[in-house]
Amino acid sequence: MENQPHALLLKFPGTNCDAETARALEAAGFSAEVVPITRIDEAQLERAQLVVLSGGFSYGDYVMAGRLAQLETERKLGDALTAFRDRGGYLLGICNGFQILTKLGLLPDGSLIHNTSGRFICRWVELEKRGVDNPFLGGLPDTFELPIAHAEGRFVAPGDAPDRYLAEGLVALTYGSDVNGSSCAIAGLSDSTGRVLGLMPHPERFLWKSHHYDPDWESPDGEWGMGYYMFKSIHDTIAA
Amino acid sequence: MKHREIPIRDLDPDGLAALSEAMKLSLSAEDMLEIQLYFAEGRREPTDVELECIAQTWSEHCKHRIFGARIEHSGSGGEEVVESLFKTYIKATTERIMERKPGFVLGCFVDNAGFVKLDEERAICLKLETHNHPSAIEPYAGANTGLGGVIRDILGAGKGAKPVASCDIFCFGSPDTDAADIKADDVIHPLGIMRGVVRGVRDYGNRMGIPTVAGAIQFDPAYIYNPLVFCGTAGVIPTGDIDKEMRGDLKVIAVGGRTGRDGLKGATFSSMALDTESHESDQQAVQIGNPIEEKKVADFVLEARGRGLVVFITDCGAGGFSSAAGEMLSEVGGNLYLERAPLKEPGMTSWEIFLSESQERMVLAVEEASLPELRELAETYETELTELGESDDSGILKVWHDGQLVCELDNSRLHDAPVRRLKSEFNVAAPVADAAPLESDDPGSDLADLLADFAVGSREPVIREYDHEVQGNTVLKPLAGATGDAPQDAAVVRVDGSERLMAMGLSLLPEWGKTDPYAMGRATVDECVRALVVAGADPERIALLDNFCVGNPEDPRELGMLVETCKGIAEAADAFSAPFVSGKDSFYNYFETDEGPVSIPVTCLISGMGVVPDAGHVTGSSLRGGGNLLAVIGSSGADMGGSVYARRKSLGGRKVPETDLAAALASYEKYHKAVGEGLVLSAHDLSEGGLAVAAAEMGFSLRAGMEIDLDKLPAAGGPGVVERLFAETPSRILIEAPADAADALAEIFSGSAFAVVGATDAGHAKLRMTSGGSAVVDADLAALKDRWKTSLTPYY
Repeated sequence: MENQPHALLLKFPGTNCDAETARALEAAGFSAEVVPITRIDEAQLERAQLVVLSGGFSYGDYVMAGRLAQLETERKLGDALTAFRDRGGYLLGICNGFQILTKLGLLPDGSLIHNTSGRFICRWVELEKRGVDNPFLGGLPDTFELPIAHAEGRFVAPGDAPDRYLAEGLVALTYGSDVNGSSCAIAGLSDSTGRVLGLMPHPERFLWKSHHYDPDWESPDGEWGMGYYMFKSIHDTIAA
Repeated sequence: MKHREIPIRDLDPDGLAALSEAMKLSLSAEDMLEIQLYFAEGRREPTDVELECIAQTWSEHCKHRIFGARIEHSGSGGEEVVESLFKTYIKATTERIMERKPGFVLGCFVDNAGFVKLDEERAICLKLETHNHPSAIEPYAGANTGLGGVIRDILGAGKGAKPVASCDIFCFGSPDTDAADIKADDVIHPLGIMRGVVRGVRDYGNRMGIPTVAGAIQFDPAYIYNPLVFCGTAGVIPTGDIDKEMRGDLKVIAVGGRTGRDGLKGATFSSMALDTESHESDQQAVQIGNPIEEKKVADFVLEARGRGLVVFITDCGAGGFSSAAGEMLSEVGGNLYLERAPLKEPGMTSWEIFLSESQERMVLAVEEASLPELRELAETYETELTELGESDDSGILKVWHDGQLVCELDNSRLHDAPVRRLKSEFNVAAPVADAAPLESDDPGSDLADLLADFAVGSREPVIREYDHEVQGNTVLKPLAGATGDAPQDAAVVRVDGSERLMAMGLSLLPEWGKTDPYAMGRATVDECVRALVVAGADPERIALLDNFCVGNPEDPRELGMLVETCKGIAEAADAFSAPFVSGKDSFYNYFETDEGPVSIPVTCLISGMGVVPDAGHVTGSSLRGGGNLLAVIGSSGADMGGSVYARRKSLGGRKVPETDLAAALASYEKYHKAVGEGLVLSAHDLSEGGLAVAAAEMGFSLRAGMEIDLDKLPAAGGPGVVERLFAETPSRILIEAPADAADALAEIFSGSAFAVVGATDAGHAKLRMTSGGSAVVDADLAALKDRWKTSLTPYY
């Protein structure tokens, strides 16, 4: 395809959702390329319209989640990702990717810390779409489900920042109930350009209807899951 | 000098035994004599490296000498001599099945895991390991590296299989064990073991990005001193990459973590019984895990295999380089140079480097021309690659350290450990004479108590700590149904690029084996096969693994129970034509307490992988809605032995149910046909807690109420109401089907025990079970579910 949008997935040691995320991007119409951090250069960014940081445990997350990946990204790329965004590029961080984007300063100030339960949580959650005109969310209904799987997904920020993000329309997604103690139940966050999105839930794990835990879940089209619509939304935004 | 010579040629048997003891070699005087003979022929004394190497190779952990022993057995079949349990019951069974079913098993017993055909291009493989002793001493690290080790088994299976799913099975003391009941110092409370073990599995599996999709937890006071930890991983590999062969012109490289003093003598350690002193002195035998190191190795290995750069690969498990190199160079021969191995710490001696069980290391044999590309790949994935040596055609393994030859063994003789001779004896005690139907004042309350019992209660607090959805292929999750938290019989995962899916299931019934290990063996295989079939697998396309944990094999009764178990599983596997493709055994799971030795019950874990033809065969085990019929497949009996109900009511000496294998197979084939024709909406196997528990669990999707007439159950042997509700007769399945499917189902199941026993009703939310026209159970499903869901939450 001539105008097929290209997605570049950055892979760190411990990134482990890259294959299924690439699969989901391809299903939505992207060409997708996984690039280990050791092999990245700025020229590769030139060819991409979307940069994706997929889930996993970069460098084990033994210090704060995403911290080492942030340092390594800055060492390899300097501020190239910021420049990429400024020239119209899109960035998506899922789970560990959300944590890394936050550490990189590409998302509003805040941190993703240990869930209030102190545990890893693998379950499906109800989400509410908050971001108006968010290019990643256009094709999604006002509420929908996605799976989460994280130990450090509780979003916190200084003072009244979380409320402010909500008021300013930077909060893209909130949990339907309190799953991890996130301030304002924040599950996903955008930057002021709207071109950067970080979220804890895993859209790539709900690509098909058959991914849903309930065999009687009804897909709007009989085939795809809600995660597909997220990738499709950003695809259609870029391809338009 | 980093090695030393150990004079043994002039030692008498007592001296040899003392040497083995002093060096912690775990070798008998008979073994030592064999070694003495070998070196006498070579007219030299062994080095410490050579002795340690032989001790590892001959250890029970690596060589399975009890499964290979000659056993004089006295049991149900009278007096007999079993020449190797492995050959007689496992291997021979599989060979018969392979003859009947060519092309299904693509590899077994030789490589790291057993392979079966998924489709024309791909094979699936499965391996389970135990990590019992390390988990008893260091629960977190022991379980952590238990999973890490079995994942490496899969990475080293064929030319490198891709790990796609894991399972873990634990046996613990009860979480509410009174600390005063633990009769030995330094034994960790079952709750501490459980928390550590679960977190160990969690942190390795989640970081590796391999979904933990199946498992079980068994609680019994006998496991307080010897907790059992089974970790399993399944993989997928292109069929053409299964076979690997060593040649004499290859480079041997190590990839991954560095070598240190952690994990010294792990294999010999796990071949000994535990005592209080173990908790103090053997901590060095427990390795330290680093999943990210292994993740980098996995990325490297899978990419290298994909590019065709791997000629041979194996993992560094028990025995470290010595076993990996032994496997790789045992026939062709070759040289290894220990000074090249990257070390975690300076000053390691030759045997420490050669035998260390440091984690996250793989050994590959590759062509010299591939080295530059492999080095580049190692840089890409930030893992360390070291050229350790080379193969030649000498047939002799030579190990060098700083120019000194520290080990030179003729590999054709290295693996010949003397065959052990053992005696065993077991006869089933006569059951209590009075087997009149049981009475219960309040079966509804019995049911609620069963659901809250540790044997039955929801494992949700544990399951949610495991990422069971990473890789995005988990179709049937461990918890599912309309509310996403109801139990399922087995897990099903998609395999990228294939229409077909893989089901993964398991069973263990140690409570049954206490009374009748033979019956346990048959029923355990039946339950595993049934779980896979109910999950959607084709009964023709199922392969099994046998994992045993046993106490003291020198105790004739304990060994006798193992022999009887082996007979049972062999007969059942043969009847189902479900071959054993891999397995493992762990002995010496007993502990010297202040009040004498405590052994575990003979524990036989049967796990399996099954090929599911397509996603349409996956129904799940949770009720779909009202207006449907409920039917039971299989005949219900009166025997209550081994059941959770019997244990709760302290009904000792009851007969354990028999398994009618031919009837079971016929049922499963018919079930598979019915699912294929779209006649089944959901199905749940009847296991712990019997029909009542299965029905309640099925209703936990809270989609509809259920009405079941117990009088309509297909039955034999005169079960009363209590038996119909709670007996654990094998081979039974409860299904939900569209009301209009009754005739079609009756036709498919003609000739088998099958009956429509009730219906679902969206008009209420209760489980109603009746007999003689009156309700014996009339319970709110949500309330039952609450009891079930909160069984473990106070403890985990």
